[in-house]
Parts: sequence; structure tokens; C-alpha cells
Amino acid sequence: MNVKNKPLLFTILAECNSSKARVSKMQLPHGVVDTPVFMPVGTQGTLKGILPEQLEKLDLQIMLANTYHLGTKPGVDILKKAGGLHKFMNWNRNLLTDSGGFQMVSLLKLAEITEEGVKFQSLNEQKSEVMLTPEHSIEIQNAIGADIIMQLDDVVKTTNPDKERIEVSVHRTTRWLDRCLSAHQREQDQNLFPIVQGTLYEDLRKISAKDLIQREVNGYAIGGLSGGESKEEFWRIVHLCTDLLPKDKPRYLMGVGFATDLVVCCALGVDMFDCVFPTRTARFGCGLVMNGQLNLRSKKYEKDFKPIDEECECDTCQKYTRAYLHCIVTVIPVACHLLTIHNVTFQLRLMKGIRNSITQGNFPKFVADFMLKNYPDKNYPKWIKESLSTVNINLH
Amino acid sequence: MKFVVKQLTKGVPRLGKLIELNGKPNITLQTPLVMLHTQGGQVPHITHEVLKLVSNNPHILQIPLVSVHNFKEAMDYFDGAINEFIGSEESICCLTLHDPSNLTQQGFNAKGKVPVWTKNGKVQYNSESYMKTVESFRPDMYHLLSDGDTNQSSTQKRISKAVANTNAFHKECLEIHRTSEKLKDCLIIAPIAGGYSISQRKDCLESILKDDDEVGGYLIDGLHNNGPEVEFLPFSDIEPIVKYSIDKLPAEKLRTIQGCWNPLTIIKLVKLGVDIFDTSYCRMLTERSAAMTFPIDGTEDSVTYEINLRQLRYLDDFQPILIGCQCPACLKYSRGYIHHLLSVQELLGPVLIMIHNIHHFLRFFEKIRRCIDEDCLSQLETRIEIYFTRYQQEILLPQKEPVVNDTIY
Ligand SMILES: [Zn+2]
Ligand SMILES: [Zn+2]
Repeated sequence: MNVKNKPLLFTILAECNSSKARVSKMQLPHGVVDTPVFMPVGTQGTLKGILPEQLEKLDLQIMLANTYHLGTKPGVDILKKAGGLHKFMNWNRNLLTDSGGFQMVSLLKLAEITEEGVKFQSLNEQKSEVMLTPEHSIEIQNAIGADIIMQLDDVVKTTNPDKERIEVSVHRTTRWLDRCLSAHQREQDQNLFPIVQGTLYEDLRKISAKDLIQREVNGYAIGGLSGGESKEEFWRIVHLCTDLLPKDKPRYLMGVGFATDLVVCCALGVDMFDCVFPTRTARFGCGLVMNGQLNLRSKKYEKDFKPIDEECECDTCQKYTRAYLHCIVTVIPVACHLLTIHNVTFQLRLMKGIRNSITQGNFPKFVADFMLKNYPDKNYPKWIKESLSTVNINLH
Repeated sequence: MKFVVKQLTKGVPRLGKLIELNGKPNITLQTPLVMLHTQGGQVPHITHEVLKLVSNNPHILQIPLVSVHNFKEAMDYFDGAINEFIGSEESICCLTLHDPSNLTQQGFNAKGKVPVWTKNGKVQYNSESYMKTVESFRPDMYHLLSDGDTNQSSTQKRISKAVANTNAFHKECLEIHRTSEKLKDCLIIAPIAGGYSISQRKDCLESILKDDDEVGGYLIDGLHNNGPEVEFLPFSDIEPIVKYSIDKLPAEKLRTIQGCWNPLTIIKLVKLGVDIFDTSYCRMLTERSAAMTFPIDGTEDSVTYEINLRQLRYLDDFQPILIGCQCPACLKYSRGYIHHLLSVQELLGPVLIMIHNIHHFLRFFEKIRRCIDEDCLSQLETRIEIYFTRYQQEILLPQKEPVVNDTIY
């Protein structure tokens, strides 16, 4: 492939001397993305009442949208007529779409997976049986037109102990990747990422990664985590996968977005994250801070005239007090907008802090300071201590 | 705060300005003007930050007590006025009683007490507790407590009670105001009660006008119980009362009126000499997914009065809400996208519609002022009447256009 025409150019700018953390620039069709990056989730082509203009002002470089939802409404025809999702929603920066498979398996109880694809009962009035095949997922994603698109994978719950079934899913995911790659119509401006599967079995993860890295793609995702497994199991698989995946391509850990998880997984060498948590928690009246979150519905903020976070520079923290937010959260929709602005800003600021510290060569100190803020009594959870010490960051 | 009228006239459209605003010496607001109706201190669906994208001019925020009564606890300890607490220091705040966009429950007006129907149920205010709240909020202007619980079907008994209550509240509140250091720069709007009875209006006016020196303006209250019904209240019904009241009111004072009046009625009220309205009409339209599309000047391309973006015909319509409109919603978003947002119940749908509606309504008032200045308000009235009449006929048609149903995943 001609390097010039590649829709993704990944350049590592700095690496941590102790851990596997790195800072990179990922050039995509709709602009540069600085990694490690957190991507907020705008499921239906919009993010919790926030105008794309506002998101640009926050310097958001990429967000996620969900293929299953968009394929249902407005549907492929409308998206094609609109000229793709970027135009439809007036977002001129980067987008990433999932394959729709995970959404169906988790949202629809009746989904059934066969070699052909994911079969499910449609939500429309006819209640007809519909099949989401790898080809169909790519067709929808081609119509949406996101800068990064995901293969349809065979998702098995991490808590499912049936190794035979998981082994099937690993091989099937590779077969589906090949079907996705041949169905893909827009290689020149859309990057198709494979997804490493194998739940918690290290040997299966190895097989999965080994098969997938033989395909010519521009980045990889680690799937099948963040689904109820223990933190202990979680970090070991992340650590293994980042070792298995090529260093010169971005690694995307799906469905992870809690602050501590982000810090640890950056240390383990992950470059991209997404999670609904920051925006969902905003809807319930919670504002994120470095050591957790404030539930602004709580009466204790009634006379608290500080901003959510004194160090935050977002519009919400510049203008509104906790006391005011306490009065309006869950009462008027605008309160959700205000908290979403703060929470997205918080995630971006956290990632910027991580990137800057890697660049300046003091990432281990950043991690130590961050963990101390979260655990002032130094009662660090075992998984955090162990995972970090594996990559030479020791919490004392 | 001071009100200056260009010509001291009685029952004709007039231009005026509000000057010498507290802490904002360089700001002038032109009348007839529209206050921005708020709930919880925000224009519905629009944060103050987004509002700045719609209009950078200073505005008066209408703060209905019913939507902020739970702020009192915090405000008692807060070192600042209500505009600072709600994060809009640059705005001028007018504290009012009921929310004009919601129907106010009738009845329960006991002597000396006014019920306010909050989210958490009924809260009774008397002059003392009301004025305590006003002192705690320190708005730039406020309505005195009143009993406006009358409408076209109110009995004589109810109307005379409303007048008696309002007269009493007026005296009690003024007494507290006089001794209040905190409120000395605060402009008073005195409500006039009396329903649809000229003789009761007369009684109320006579009593309240005795304190004219201390009052900055008057509210013609008691015409309706707020909410969507006000949109279609026939102008001919309210005309005699408004005309009579304005005739009695001193020409140099502000005349305000509240409610979701439609644009045609607003022009007619302006012609009678009303100076201040509010944007509750914008909220009401937005809640039913409707956007105003009647043309204001020659720059728009529209054959409709308003459009309902839930209608299936907008599914693949990639034009803006109103062709030619320069609002942030019309410049960058399509009817089709808004239709999609509404059909999946996303918050951004009403945000975009409200952006357009507020922008359109503010332009409408600019146009009204220009027309008064150029003496051509009747032309504007005729033009809008054509659109409005057609729209009214359409909504009476038995066959409704199909609209999208909500999807729940
Ligand atoms: Zn903030
Ligand atoms: Zn517009």
C-alpha cells in the first residue's frame, strides 16, 4: 500500500523509560489525534445535548458512534443521502464506529450467533428475524463513514467459562475479519481494526493476536474485556495483548474509561479508550474529579460555592457552583449539558496529563501522584500495585 | 434602572429604552422587548454558553419563582445576587411568580397567601416570605406579589377576591421594600388584577396607582392561567381590558404582560402600547417539536408559519429549518438531522429547535422596533396574519400529517 494514501499514520513521539506507555500522533482523515486518547460515546450521532461546536472548543479530536443504533435510525439510506455521519451531525473531526455486534448481543436477549453472523429479532413492528453479517456491518459502517471502523467479532461474555465456545469465537472472529476486509469498500479513507478475542485464556489470546496481526491493517483493538471479570484477570490480559500486538500500530482497549483504569492501561501500552461512563454519569448528576466523582444531588453541596473542580478550566467550572448545580441536576436538561461539558473536559485533561508526563519523562511520578490522590491512605488495591510494578512503576 | 419613553403616548405602539442598569452603566435595552423566559435560571434547553452563540446582546432573564424556589436555602448564604448564582452575571434578572409556559393550577388562593406549584408540590407565599425571597435573590427588577388567578370564566366573586388580595399584597410588599437596604436599586413592577371585569380593573388600578412614585412599571395580570392555552386566546377578548388598563396607566411607566402569546397577538398588544413580553412561546413550540418559520423580513424563503420537525416528511430533508435564517442551528444543521434526534429522543433535538426559536423571536422583536420607528407596523402585522391564519386553518384539518414515533431501545 502506498504510504502516502494510508488513512492512518501512527507516529510514536515519546516513550516512557520505565513502563510501556507511549505518546503518539495518529493522523486520520479528519485530523490528528493525540494518543493515548479517550473517546466519548455519541451513540446516535450526538453527545448528550452538546453542540459539536462546543466539543471542538474542548479540543475533542475523536468520538465514537454506534453502528447498531445508527443502522436502525436514521438507517443506511438516510446516512448515504446525507453524505455520511460527519456531514449529517456537523462533526468535521474524527469518528469511530463499533461493529454493532456487541450492542446486539448485550441489548437483545434473543440474539443468536451462527457462522453466518448475529441473528436477532428486529425491533420493528414486523418483528422479523434479521441477520447482522460481517458484510452487512461493514456496509453500514461504510455508509456512516467513520475514520476508524471495527470488524464484526464473535463476542463471548468474559464470565463464560466454556473454553470450547471461546476457542470457536477466536477462530470465527478471524474468519469474520477476512469477510469484513473483503467487504470493505472504502480502504482509502476508513481504517478497519480487527479485535483480539479469547476472553481470559492467555493461550487463546495468543492464537487470536497471532492470526490477526498477519492481516494488513492499521491498528488493533482488544475486545472482550470490561465485562464483569476481576481486575486481576483484566490487567493481565491487557498486559499480554499489548505485548502481542505490533508496537508501531495503535492499540485500542474497548469499553474502558474509569480514571484509574485509564492510568494503569496507559502504563500497559494502550493508546485508545472509549466508555459511556463519563457522559452517562453526568445524566445522573455526577461530576468527575481526580479522586472519584461528586454526586451533586447530595444535600452536602447545598451551600458549597466552589466549582466542581477548582483546577478545571471548563465553562461549567468557570461559572457554576456546586450549590447551583445541586439545585438543578436531574431537574432541567441543561444541568446534564453542564455536567457533560465538565466530565468530557475532565477525561481530556486526564489524558493530556498522561501524555505530557510521558513526553517530559516523568510518567511514573504522574502515576504515583494520581494514585496517592485516589488512595490518600496508600491502601492501594492489589491489582493496581501488581500491574504497575510489572511495568516498573512501584507505589510505595 | 430607569425607563425612558421616546414619546409619552397612551394607546399607540411606542419605543423606549431601559438605562442606568445596576452595575451595567453602558447597557441600554430597547423596548418593546422580550425577556428571556427561564427555568432554574436557564433558558430551557440552552445553557448560558450556548445562548451567547445565539445572541451576544444583554438580556433580561425572566426568573419565575416557581422554578427557583428551591434556590432560597443556598441564596441565603450566597454572597451575590441571583444573576451571579445562576452563572449569568452579565444578565439582568426579573423575578416573577408563576411560569408562563406552564398551566398554573387554579384555586387555593387563601386570604394573604398565594400558592406556587413547584416540582415538590404546593408552596404558600405571603408578602413577608415572598419579600424575604426577593431580598435574598436581589434581582434587578421584580413583580410584587399578586393574585392573578383569574381567566375568562372566573366568577365575580373570585375576581373581587383577586383584586382585594392583590391590593393588600401590593401595600404589604411595598412597605417591606421601603425599609429594605438590599432592594433600594431594584425596580418594582406592580401587577394589576381584575380578570375581565372593567369595574374590578378600575378598583385595582385606583388603589395601586396611589403608590405610582415608587413603582417602575405595571404588569397587566389576571388575563389567563398561563400555559399553552394563551397562544389561541382571541385578541378581541383581551383587547378591552388591556386598552382600558393602559389608558389609566401613567405613560412614562413600563407596561408588561406575561404569557405564550402568538406573534400576531404580540403585534396587536404592542399597538396598544405594551412594552415587555417574554419568550415562553418559544419554549412551548419547542416542547411540541415546532419551529417558527414565518418570514420576518425579505431574507427568508418560507411558505409556512411553523413546521413540526417530527413529521415524516422531514426524514430526508437536508435543508435548514428556515432557509435564509442565520442562527447557529440553521447555518449548520438540517431538518433531517433534527428529525432524527427527535425520533431517538436525544437532548440535542430540542436544543437546536430552541436555538432557532429564540433567535427568530429576538429578530421578530428587532423588526417590531424598526417598524415602529419607520411607522410600518401594520404591514408587518398583515404579512404575519396571512401566515398565521393559514396555519390556524391547517391545524383544524381532520387529517394530520404522520409523525415519527419515539423509539426506545
Ligand atoms: Zn469543569
Ligand atoms: Zn434558524
